[in-house]
Amino acid sequence: MRAPTRGAKDARTKATVRPAGSIASTVVRLVNLIRGARTGGVFLALVLIMAVASVASPYFLSPFNMQSVIRSLAFTGMIAMAQAGLLILGELDLSVGAVAGLSGVLGGVLMVWLHVDPFISFALGLLSGAFFGLVNGLLVTGLELNALVVTIGMTGVYLGMNLVISRGAAIIGIPSQIYFLGQGVVLGIPMPFVIMLLVLVVVVFIARYTPFGRYMYAIGNSREAAHILGVPVNLVRMLTFMGVGLVAALAGMVMVARLGTAQPSIGETWVLDSIAASVIGGVALTGGVGSPAGALLGAAIINIVQDIIVLFGVSPYYQTAVSGMIVVGAISLDAISRRVARGGNRPGGGQQA
Amino acid sequence: MTILEATQITKAFPSVVALDAVNVAFEPGRVYGIVGENGAGKSTLVKILDGVLQPDKGTILIEGEDALAHPRLFERISYVPQELLLFRHMTVAENLFMPFWKSGVQNVPILQERLFAEAIPWLERFQIDAAPSTLAKDISVSNQQLLQIARGIVSKQYRILILDEPTTSLTAASVSRLFEVIRQLRGEGRSIIFISHKLDEIFDLCDEVSVLRNGVKVGDSKMGDVDRRWMIRQMSGRDIDERHVFRPRTRRRDVVMEVEGLSGPGFRDISFTLRRGEILGFAGLVGAGRSEIMQTVFGRLHAKGGEVRLNGRPFKLSDPRRSVREGLIYLPEERRQEGILPFLSVRHNISIAVLRQITNRGVISIRRERALVQQIADAFDIRTPSLDRAIMFLSGGNQQKAIIGRAMASSPKVLILDEPTKGIDVGTKADLYGLMRDLAEGGQTGIIFISSDLDELLRCANRVITVYNGRIVGEFDAEASSKTEIVASMIGERMAGKGEMLQ
Repeated sequence: MRAPTRGAKDARTKATVRPAGSIASTVVRLVNLIRGARTGGVFLALVLIMAVASVASPYFLSPFNMQSVIRSLAFTGMIAMAQAGLLILGELDLSVGAVAGLSGVLGGVLMVWLHVDPFISFALGLLSGAFFGLVNGLLVTGLELNALVVTIGMTGVYLGMNLVISRGAAIIGIPSQIYFLGQGVVLGIPMPFVIMLLVLVVVVFIARYTPFGRYMYAIGNSREAAHILGVPVNLVRMLTFMGVGLVAALAGMVMVARLGTAQPSIGETWVLDSIAASVIGGVALTGGVGSPAGALLGAAIINIVQDIIVLFGVSPYYQTAVSGMIVVGAISLDAISRRVARGGNRPGGGQQA
Repeated sequence: MTILEATQITKAFPSVVALDAVNVAFEPGRVYGIVGENGAGKSTLVKILDGVLQPDKGTILIEGEDALAHPRLFERISYVPQELLLFRHMTVAENLFMPFWKSGVQNVPILQERLFAEAIPWLERFQIDAAPSTLAKDISVSNQQLLQIARGIVSKQYRILILDEPTTSLTAASVSRLFEVIRQLRGEGRSIIFISHKLDEIFDLCDEVSVLRNGVKVGDSKMGDVDRRWMIRQMSGRDIDERHVFRPRTRRRDVVMEVEGLSGPGFRDISFTLRRGEILGFAGLVGAGRSEIMQTVFGRLHAKGGEVRLNGRPFKLSDPRRSVREGLIYLPEERRQEGILPFLSVRHNISIAVLRQITNRGVISIRRERALVQQIADAFDIRTPSLDRAIMFLSGGNQQKAIIGRAMASSPKVLILDEPTKGIDVGTKADLYGLMRDLAEGGQTGIIFISSDLDELLRCANRVITVYNGRIVGEFDAEASSKTEIVASMIGERMAGKGEMLQ
């Protein structure tokens, strides 16, 4: 009974190593090789972009420019990793930017107006973000509402609270004790980036080495299957929303420390970048696929592209359009490579096991 | 005259199944069966014949013309895929005539009333018991499958109809209705390609059969010249005795689960007991309520009354999480949607259920995970190039082995298998039966086996309980009972033992 089945297996492997008959199949295999390590592919793209940029502009690799790139990457990176966590779960949070702004303003109010100890205020700011995330999560899981709609609505609520509290003006006079969190440099690396690296370590650890992380992937793959397996589906969804709120608030508070003022506009542009970064980094919008580390690479690509646009002296009027086109281009390339790798010629005609 | 001729069709997927120089030809007015194990390339072949996929090599002639050069020729082929692909939130009539240009419903504006009127003859032809204005999601699964097939033949211009496992969700009555329709189509001179794992259907319906194994066509024949044995040997490359019995040899062990007076959605007053080390079969027609009973015991559906005892202690019916913790595991019928975690690796699919065993102070040990999963993969004979491959690329049979392996890894007290051999080939079925028997004979687990295939229940189970219309109508010793008496009970014709018929 064993012998013939083993033969069957051989026949199957033989089919796969058959010599390539055309350029197309070579391309297919190449694409597939890269796809085998998805983040590897994104990393390759990042290296390529950097290589081209450093040849084209001598300033690109200068310490000053690199510091400015990773300083802005610190914020989009944090938000992107958090967003990736939710996307893996099959959810998303459009209120991350609003939460960052509101938590920053709340922290500022505590420090400046209420003279609370700056570090305690910082921590309370983070807690407020976790609370806002929890509210999102409770609405989504408790009432089974759609995350997209809930977080669009809550974006309005958080932005509104922000404006009511701050009256739309920056809160100045942030105590200088916390400046180092946003402005400090450790071994030549800006402090916000160091904080982002800590977030990276924690998030990757959770995703890879804890049951909680495995549950996130399971739920994103099939909520029903996860439910039947005994995964505490709603608890995991709720806690992830809370974690995303916490990270958003962290980014917001660090931005306050960096600017030295609590600007109500903090986080305004973070949401779309976080989703684009996740997708570029191989996180599927439909859930269950990708990794937070990939999202960080995606964020790096977006930031570097934006930096290159500035370095090359593209008119500021065009910058937004150009960076938007590059994001769409990157996603299209990814989709095309996936289709080629699947061997399908028509959309939806591919995968067959 | 040949309508469709494909020669030397070759297709390589990156590291998955390939077709190797397959030749097929189809004449009008005949029904062609294509059989083969999971992953043999059947679906790939028909997708190529329909133009959904392009072959790496080979030619396709449709009525003598090169179809690969003129893809419009593929419009003469109507392909009904295995998966249900309906527009769930549109009406039955809209689903039937979509896309409108193909079905000839062209006059803008498209009026609902006219669509409904035109749909009625089609629904009658297939005996789909639903109003044309019903939403597709609200009709039974069996009717959904029929509707999808009806959609395949609404188009006027097709010459060849391809049906990829069209009967997996059909009730027995619908199957015979479908076969009548297919025979009519054959009479009209259409050519039909019919894929099925159910060899009875192939023998019942087809004029000719082709067998695929590992992407190679290993045989074809007129139906009259071959028997089941030949077909199974061609498919699997080995001799499989379809009468081999896998019944666990068990001494009478203690009762592990008692269900008493359980009522819930679509069933009431269900009582039975399950012993360790036995396989208890649940027979009944599709829709009799077998899955609902088990999902209620499992806590996925809500009970309206009754009680369950596990190991003699009252078991609170609440939610799946609690049931899993107490050692009650349910493997759903819909393996693709509710069983596997498609994009995750085989390793992650299996370890998700045993994280407690590989976690130390909240941290997963990847080394222990690999070792444990490897052990399960070996024990359950899961065939995959690598345990890091996404499970969706495995054949259905191997997915099922992985899921059963996952369930067993947590050493459950009760394992409920809901149609575990659906869409699985004869050879792999025998493997699964063997696994189930071994699990039962291990003596720790009681297995409940729901199946619509009475033959497999009689080969595997110690006892068979029949369910009709939401009630238990009979209980049989599988060894001592005949198929006819169980069938009679299943279709509500005769009361055996306890219970009475509802009407």
